[in-house]
Amino acid sequence: MSTVSENYVPGHAAAAPQAGAVKLTMVLSGAVFALMMVFGLLMRAAQGQWIDLDAALFYQLLTAHGAGMVGTAALSGAAIMWYFCGRHLVLSGGIFWAFLGLFLLGVVLILGAIFIGGYGGAWTFLFPLPALSGGAWEAGAAAAFMLGYTAIGVGFLLYYLELGRRIHARYGSLVRALGWNLILGREDNDPPPPAIVAAAAVTIFNSIGIILGAAVLVASLVHLLVPGFEVDALLAKNLIYFFGHVFINASIYMAVTAVYEILPEYTGKPWKSNRLFAIAWNAVLIFVMAVYWHHLLQDVVMPPWMLVVGQLVSYFSGIPLIAVTAFSTFLYVRGSKMTWDLASSLLVLSVAGWSVGSVPASIDGMISVNKVMHNTMWVPGHFHTYLLLGEVAMAFGFMAWLVRGKTISQMDGLDRAAFVTYLAGAAGFVTVFLFSGAASIPRRWAVHYEEWLAHDRIGTLFGGLVVLGTLVFVLRFAARLGRREG
Amino acid sequence: MKMTVLALLAAAEAIALRQAAEASPIQHVLVQMPLLVLAGVLISWDMRGRRVWAVPLLLTALTAFLFWMLPRSVDWALTPAGETAKYLSLPLLLGVPLRLSWPWLAPVLRGFLKANALSMLGVLGFLYTHAPLRICNSYLVSAQQDLGFAFLQLAVVLACIWAVPVLFGHPRWLPSGSAGCSKCGA
Ligand code: HEM
Ligand SMILES: [Cu+2]
Repeated sequence: MSTVSENYVPGHAAAAPQAGAVKLTMVLSGAVFALMMVFGLLMRAAQGQWIDLDAALFYQLLTAHGAGMVGTAALSGAAIMWYFCGRHLVLSGGIFWAFLGLFLLGVVLILGAIFIGGYGGAWTFLFPLPALSGGAWEAGAAAAFMLGYTAIGVGFLLYYLELGRRIHARYGSLVRALGWNLILGREDNDPPPPAIVAAAAVTIFNSIGIILGAAVLVASLVHLLVPGFEVDALLAKNLIYFFGHVFINASIYMAVTAVYEILPEYTGKPWKSNRLFAIAWNAVLIFVMAVYWHHLLQDVVMPPWMLVVGQLVSYFSGIPLIAVTAFSTFLYVRGSKMTWDLASSLLVLSVAGWSVGSVPASIDGMISVNKVMHNTMWVPGHFHTYLLLGEVAMAFGFMAWLVRGKTISQMDGLDRAAFVTYLAGAAGFVTVFLFSGAASIPRRWAVHYEEWLAHDRIGTLFGGLVVLGTLVFVLRFAARLGRREG
Repeated sequence: MKMTVLALLAAAEAIALRQAAEASPIQHVLVQMPLLVLAGVLISWDMRGRRVWAVPLLLTALTAFLFWMLPRSVDWALTPAGETAKYLSLPLLLGVPLRLSWPWLAPVLRGFLKANALSMLGVLGFLYTHAPLRICNSYLVSAQQDLGFAFLQLAVVLACIWAVPVLFGHPRWLPSGSAGCSKCGA
């Protein structure tokens, strides 16, 4: 064992405050992940014509799956980051409960909008679709959906305000928490640990995203209620994708704190912030906001320089951070005799999945490729990679660690089976999506041609494995939670 | 004493802008009205509100704010009755209650109000630049558009003012308020 930094407190001795709230959030997240995966499986099976789904229902499921998964990824990421920031900061529990309450209120509104009101305009609520349902849903349903988003947005805003305020109080400024002293080579006898660097960066860019997202939500609501108020469609698209891109990315950037704080327990080496690490996070902070243009590569009316920036920045944004994280993980793991239990396996897998997923993402960020790939299955292919094998694996790894107990022991048979099932299922599932994309099969189509059915059916089989693995992870977590808490 | 003088100055300035307010909605909404609120804030600067009053006072201030945010109220403020209401309510029902309740508000609530203000300025900017009709009958459509852009610019400026101290720390040359960084709102 090497030296232990001041900020590194091994084991559960540093049990975070509000662990109860975090555990509850993780149970909820696990359950919703499982349910939404079943929705995804239904869609995939319907595309493969194994089951018969009404097209309207398909789009409702697509909307629920998209909004539900993005929301749950963010929720679980937020719970993870809250937990680990609680090791370094004093955080107010009331804010977390308010955050969770607003989130659940939003979920109720969104589910009501979709399954009672019939809203099926996708999680991206792209203008003017919500108002142009062609009779499939009333304006009220779209409005309820957006109000649900607003409630969730308010909850997140409170979360980040509390976090930002405490970081500011503890470190004096957010730039210090971002590690600027490390970058500039200045002396800092209390450098921010990795979780705080991550929290500072996410707090900044996600607050900006939420404030802009709230503006476009309210503008869209006004348009729904007073159709005369036209939103400028291109402006709305820019705002929505800025918000959407930043928000879903934030979920991974929050969840990765689990890797920084948990892996050291296994490797025996503390994960400390250094200059390169700080530079990578500062690059993320800026670039995550500048790359959303890659969603608009097909919008020929966009100023070309923006699209070029979108392409170039795509390479620089995630890559340095992923490289630094993946490289450090590799070094730490290689140099130590790690015990591979469920938590450590899932966390190491998540870093690998996140890295691998960024490759097809960057490919699609190239304007020349995007011309052909834009609306194909390539897109769900790449984001399912870094979500299923990245964010969700981080969340499941964190859950496994929460109920692990003090002794670390090798995986038992069931854990191993679940892990392998999940890994094989997810890897196969995303590979099929990527193949379909390369074969120019479009995304978001409820009804597929004969020629595509083989893809869909193989995808469905792999998806089933993912659901199986997930059920074991979640049930195991719930069962152990009950046992340990008593 | 000093604050009272400043408050009177702000009020006088607001009244001096009467003509300008009629001519341009920017002068009206973004200069005269804020000056009136400022007058209210300054006149009550040295008073101490009581904690139990914080919530009712805040609600009063927000109600007054919402009312004057409506384009219809802006039109009304150019009639004699509306003008009187404006001169009285903006300082007394918005500025004073805001000043008295602010020190009691939880920091997260303050941050939330500020973030919300930014979003709402964005929405107002959108409304005024995209409205399919003249929303204020007393002003030209072009002036309405200018006002919309002014809202957006204000949002950017406020965002910078509020964000810089949090990002870079409290500037040393500013006195830090009794409640920590209460002035910059961190
Ligand atoms: C068993 C696991 C899963 C299955 C079977 C599944 C299935 C699907 C299917 C069939 C689609 C529609 C593809 C199309 O455009 O035709 C889809 C879209 C999507 N999925 Fe999944 N998925 C799974 C897991 C996840 C996870 C874990 C996340 C995020 C954390 C996620 C996020 C999304 C998003 C954001 C969309 C895009 C929705 C849209 O186009 O509006 N999925 N998924
Ligand atoms: Cu993106």
